[in-house]
Amino acid sequence: MAANFWNSTHHKQLLDPEEADVVHPIDKERGFTLEDFKLIKMHMANYIARLAQNVKVRQRVVATAVTYMRRVYTRKSMTEYDPRLVAPSCLYLASKAEESTVQARLLVFYIKKLCNNFFLTWYLNSDEKYRYEIKEILEMEMKILEALNYHLVVFHPYRALSQLLQDAGMSDSTQLAWGLVNDTYKTDLILIHPPHLIALACIYVASVLKDKENTAWFEELRVDMNVVKNIAMEILDFYDSHKAITDDRVNAAMHKLGLKA
Amino acid sequence: MMMLDSVFGATMNNNMPAATTKEMSEEVDNHLLQKKVADRYLKREVLGEGTYGVVYKAIDTKTGQTVAIKKIRLGKQKEGVNFTALREIKLLKELKDPNIIELIDAFPHKGNLHLVFEFMETDLEAVIRDRNIVLSLADIKSYLQMTLKGLAFCHKKWVLHRDMKPNNLLIGSRGQLKLADFGLARIFGSPDRRFTHQVFARWYRAPELLFGAKQYGPGVDVWAAACIFAELLLRRPFLQGNSDIDQLGKIFGAFGTPKHSQWPDMVFLPDYVEYQYVPGQPLRTLFPMASDDALDLLSKMFMYDPKARISTQQALEHRFFSSGPPPTEPALLPRPPPKKAPLNSMASDFNPLDGPTVLSPPRKSRRVMPHREGFEVKGDKIDDHGNEGRQGSGHPPTSLDFSVLGARPPARPTINRFCEKSGIGGEVYKSLDFVEPMEPMIWR
Repeated sequence: MAANFWNSTHHKQLLDPEEADVVHPIDKERGFTLEDFKLIKMHMANYIARLAQNVKVRQRVVATAVTYMRRVYTRKSMTEYDPRLVAPSCLYLASKAEESTVQARLLVFYIKKLCNNFFLTWYLNSDEKYRYEIKEILEMEMKILEALNYHLVVFHPYRALSQLLQDAGMSDSTQLAWGLVNDTYKTDLILIHPPHLIALACIYVASVLKDKENTAWFEELRVDMNVVKNIAMEILDFYDSHKAITDDRVNAAMHKLGLKA
Repeated sequence: MMMLDSVFGATMNNNMPAATTKEMSEEVDNHLLQKKVADRYLKREVLGEGTYGVVYKAIDTKTGQTVAIKKIRLGKQKEGVNFTALREIKLLKELKDPNIIELIDAFPHKGNLHLVFEFMETDLEAVIRDRNIVLSLADIKSYLQMTLKGLAFCHKKWVLHRDMKPNNLLIGSRGQLKLADFGLARIFGSPDRRFTHQVFARWYRAPELLFGAKQYGPGVDVWAAACIFAELLLRRPFLQGNSDIDQLGKIFGAFGTPKHSQWPDMVFLPDYVEYQYVPGQPLRTLFPMASDDALDLLSKMFMYDPKARISTQQALEHRFFSSGPPPTEPALLPRPPPKKAPLNSMASDFNPLDGPTVLSPPRKSRRVMPHREGFEVKGDKIDDHGNEGRQGSGHPPTSLDFSVLGARPPARPTINRFCEKSGIGGEVYKSLDFVEPMEPMIWR
């Protein structure tokens, strides 16, 4: 979506990094570490993307859904708001908010189909437990709306990205930069930084990876390059730590969620 | 389509639809219990039936302010929060302006979503229809200026209203006019996005929409604003077509069939058909009482080619607004009388027996609409699947929801909105608006 990020509720809601990744006291009590918290959010972002592929909505809806989910967990606990239900419900809500409505029953169909991949081994024995019905999605939709304080408009880096790439004469790196932007949704960056700066950081990383020298272009932009570089560092850090993430670790974190209430 | 007609207090009329009567008895119960909704709002009378639920008047105990609460029915829907309602929430949360209705709060209550709006006394349609009101040029200027200001703000934020009509321009207690009903509004600005052309009540629909344009911009709102401007001057709807074809006929009859030079792109529009050439009439003949500046602005707002049509911002800078007489102060604008004597209104807030009593404003008899066959059918027997279809066919599908309460001799055409009610677009919407192929990595 175009225009006026600076006056938007999205801009007003940007957080400091410390505010974004805070484990809710209730979750802490139940033994969730910050690491678990991050892993679960990442896993759920992947889950949303996979569901979205199946129900066939555009990427923008995925990005909005992940943003909603991440916003919910800056305010609510995973104990009270089960991520396995919150994630598909966020996708459902985002599909409406982005004018690409998905039918709830279609979503429920794919939840059932995908759950074996996403809620692994230990889950297989408790077959029925992780299937959600339409009614539960709809109830959670309402709770999410409330948790978001009804703020639904979200801005994303993609629009800025294509314009900036063109301007930088890097249209040939579109694919790479786009992939980088997609991966930023596995972190809380979208809650912390203005989308165009995330786009710039991805271009920055892309030019490093492609060995493309465009310092001059970056210097001409009237943006704080320190912020851009910091975001780029966070992206690289994410890739570094991502190598160490194994299915076992994800499963261990997911396991702490326990059985469906 | 907000609470407006409410104002006229026709709610206790004998022609009340069954559903609303039921709501009313709930109301009485609530009053007897002195129950506050969400620990904050003291419910008062039902104001009317909206596209997606009942609208109540209420007192915000936190601020003492009178508000209108839209209760959005969810229970029987299989698609959760109504899509139209969600659009409205989404956009109004971002659009804060003196000339746009304020969404004060939203909350779930007993499984239904409630939207809290500032309470507005009346709407521009009621002003235009009230024969006791004389509108001076300065008054018209003021109403039009407020309309354009609200619209300019939307356009600046890349939002198209898409349902501009006098009934959706609400008027507050101090005469301020505000745009309401954003249930059809959309964010625009993405190049190449295709939108549905089934927007606006027909009389306010721009010619490019009538020719089936799917890519359009703020010009559609400007055309509708021009129709409202004309309606303020004439005191009746300007171009009253009874079908889309007839609507174009009416437009061409007034301004002449567009020549190629006036609107070169017209022939490429999807539903373009050639119309027999008619010459059109001079604006001076159509609007004998208007000033030269008014006619000049009107002609620029009624430009055929959307590219040549004046923007809201340019319209606000037009000399019509700077030349004398200056626009009337909103508080001094002529308005229909308020619906009830203010004397006992405070007392009634807290008197359980006084809740939804019969209110008999002087204008009531004029607003009552006796023939709404089909409406009574609705309500009790809505099943999950037939819901939207039934509402759509049972009575004229309407976006001016409270038309039930008001008499408008020629039935005003409105948008057929039933396909949206389920939260899933109907076929028209599906093919144009909602479903887009998955764009794997790249999208606009």
